[in-house]
Amino acid sequence: MLVEYIPLFLVIAFAIVFAFGTVFSSKIFGPQRPNPEKLSTYESGVQPVGTTHERMSVKYYLVAMLFIIFDLEVIFVYPWAVQFKKLYLDPSVGTTAFYAMLIFLVVFEIGYLYVYKKGGFKWD
Amino acid sequence: MTFTVHDLISLSPVLLIGVGILATLIIEMLVKESEKILGWFTFVLLLSVAYLSLILLDHTALVFEDKFLTGGRVNIFFFLFSFGAAVVSLLSMEYIKKAGIHFGEYYIMLLSSVLGMMLISGATDFIMIFIGLEQMSVCFYVLAGFNRRNERSLEAALKYFLLGSFATGFLVFGLGLIYGAVGSLSITEIVIGYETLKTSPLFLTGTLLFIIGFSFKIAAVPFHMWVPDVYQGAPTSVTALMSTTGKAAAFSALIIIFSPIIQAAYPSFFTPVISVLAVLSMLYGSIVAISQNDLKRMLAYSSIAHAGYMLIGLAAWNEKGVSGVIFYLVAYTFMNLAAFGLISLIEKRDLRGTEFSDYKGLGFKQPVLAGLMALTMFALSGIPPFAGFFGKYYVFLSAIEAGMTWLAIVGVISSVISVYFYLRLIVVMYFDNSDEIVMVTPSTSAMLGIMISVLLIIIMGVAPGSIINLINSTF
Amino acid sequence: MNLYDIIFYLFAIITIVSATFVVFTKNIVYAAYNLLLTLFGIAGLYVLLGADFIGIVQLIIYVGGILILILFGVMLTNKITDVPIKSGVLQVIPASIGVGMLAGILILIVTNISWRNMELTVPESTIGSLGMLLMNEYILIFELLGMLLLIALIGAANIARK
Repeated sequence: MLVEYIPLFLVIAFAIVFAFGTVFSSKIFGPQRPNPEKLSTYESGVQPVGTTHERMSVKYYLVAMLFIIFDLEVIFVYPWAVQFKKLYLDPSVGTTAFYAMLIFLVVFEIGYLYVYKKGGFKWD
Repeated sequence: MTFTVHDLISLSPVLLIGVGILATLIIEMLVKESEKILGWFTFVLLLSVAYLSLILLDHTALVFEDKFLTGGRVNIFFFLFSFGAAVVSLLSMEYIKKAGIHFGEYYIMLLSSVLGMMLISGATDFIMIFIGLEQMSVCFYVLAGFNRRNERSLEAALKYFLLGSFATGFLVFGLGLIYGAVGSLSITEIVIGYETLKTSPLFLTGTLLFIIGFSFKIAAVPFHMWVPDVYQGAPTSVTALMSTTGKAAAFSALIIIFSPIIQAAYPSFFTPVISVLAVLSMLYGSIVAISQNDLKRMLAYSSIAHAGYMLIGLAAWNEKGVSGVIFYLVAYTFMNLAAFGLISLIEKRDLRGTEFSDYKGLGFKQPVLAGLMALTMFALSGIPPFAGFFGKYYVFLSAIEAGMTWLAIVGVISSVISVYFYLRLIVVMYFDNSDEIVMVTPSTSAMLGIMISVLLIIIMGVAPGSIINLINSTF
Repeated sequence: MNLYDIIFYLFAIITIVSATFVVFTKNIVYAAYNLLLTLFGIAGLYVLLGADFIGIVQLIIYVGGILILILFGVMLTNKITDVPIKSGVLQVIPASIGVGMLAGILILIVTNISWRNMELTVPESTIGSLGMLLMNEYILIFELLGMLLLIALIGAANIARK
């Protein structure tokens, strides 16, 4: 049994129940007497114009894309880092583990430099 | 982990191209106007990879804990990919200038897609096939949409990406089921356990899904929907790459998965599946191509039909069939490279000019180009003495030998239908007249690429025996 | 029905219900947020299967990364949020034949196979053995993944270039 994980699942379940509970209980239990004045965005201010769905700059796309790729790269470093000492002491691997990761990172850093050189990180 | 010098030498084509990709990246970063030198750099690099793979033909090795095989048949594929891509790089140099996409990244993507193809053809592990396929496909998605100002190019990229990912989904699902049945993704394990696996529904379904995934990549009916739009919309030089070496890479994966399965038991569960795919592709491709008015689209449907002919060799599955498929792939690669190369020359600056009507009277105004185009069309339709004829001949012969004469008959019928639309272009070029033709002065690099392809088509048609012997010697 | 089963069904229901919403909702933003729940439910299922590392990777990459990218994609596109998406049905007959065949095959497999039942044990954290495999058997694949990521990086930068 995955007994060790049960507290974690309980926390998640509690978080879900709490989040939904607090949000919706006010809707269920609170008094609802709406009028147009109350429902407007700013009760005593200027009338809002347009929608809230503003178009964002395409520059965010590149940043998000780069974020995901670097995120993925880091994922591959975790198992290596956790196991590094054991790998180093293993006679069949030894320093290979170090050099393998070095090559992996160097290959990737060339890509990083490329994006840097091409102005991928510039904000205008 | 043991790693010997012998392993290193046998892996050298792959290593060279990997280092080459990094080198092109660094050149692109450091040199201004790098695109001017990168074209030739790519060409020389790919040629040396092709040369290396040929001289290492007998250097068989199973490297990296049985993950990768080199030598023999694999090296023939290496040669095909790198040499085909070298010709594409020749064809591209002037074309991408004309299309306004003259960037160094084009060549980086070209080289990387070749690396992906090599990984597929040498894989002895499904994870390797998957990674190679992803590498190749990602490059193709980017290349198909390289012309960002052109709406059709964007449409092609999006369609290719969506349907390609969908196909990859099938593939991964299939791999999951195969892993569940075998407990390993190594092909050697499958060979060992094949006697028990061949009745396992999990394994059979997994392999079926795998075949479906790759049918998308080789453009076999009913998984062909993306082909016409993508081949038409992508830049012509990219179409040349996708339709030739890309298809060859997908076929090499099918050959890898089938060789252990069918060696163990013939006829297998998959023979009818492959036969149906072959018949549908041949007939559909040939019949629909008749009504096309765009040359690139016509060649897209013809490529569907050619996938069908090659599938015959896989369905027959004997030594002749497999070597026939490989021969056919080589022949088809150079026929299509020549055809797309010529189209890219005649295409106009705004990427129009690929309709049949644009070729009216070409035979009088551009006799050299028209002559080469006519020769390529004859070869594609399978008229002797060109390479296309012997490709079909070997494949049909293997089907008859395997007792599937009906498959060969369908193939012949569809070839006869296909003669119509190939010859139609020749008729348009020589018997119609129009004053609209703009004179093109073909660049040396593009002409070199086209001449190499045409020369190979002729050589393979005149002396097919020596090439088929070379392929046979690698079994 | 023990606690393990209850947790399993909880995650399964979260996954399936939210996936249904993704398919049928008319608002693309709702679809994206429901996809978040789907991916989260799958992460939970991974953990229940003893694949803790994959579960966490699922959370980091899919919930934390890919989904954000999808939302960006929605927001980058002008006025897409107000457009009701067409989720009508096209080509009912071929689609139902295809889906029906696939579903039939899968049901056949699930019912016909003698599944190996494993002892329910708490597996050790899988991250250690993954590290070992990555540096031994799969070392070539590991390096090639670096190459694949590099190409994805360049491709992404290239698509978004000015």
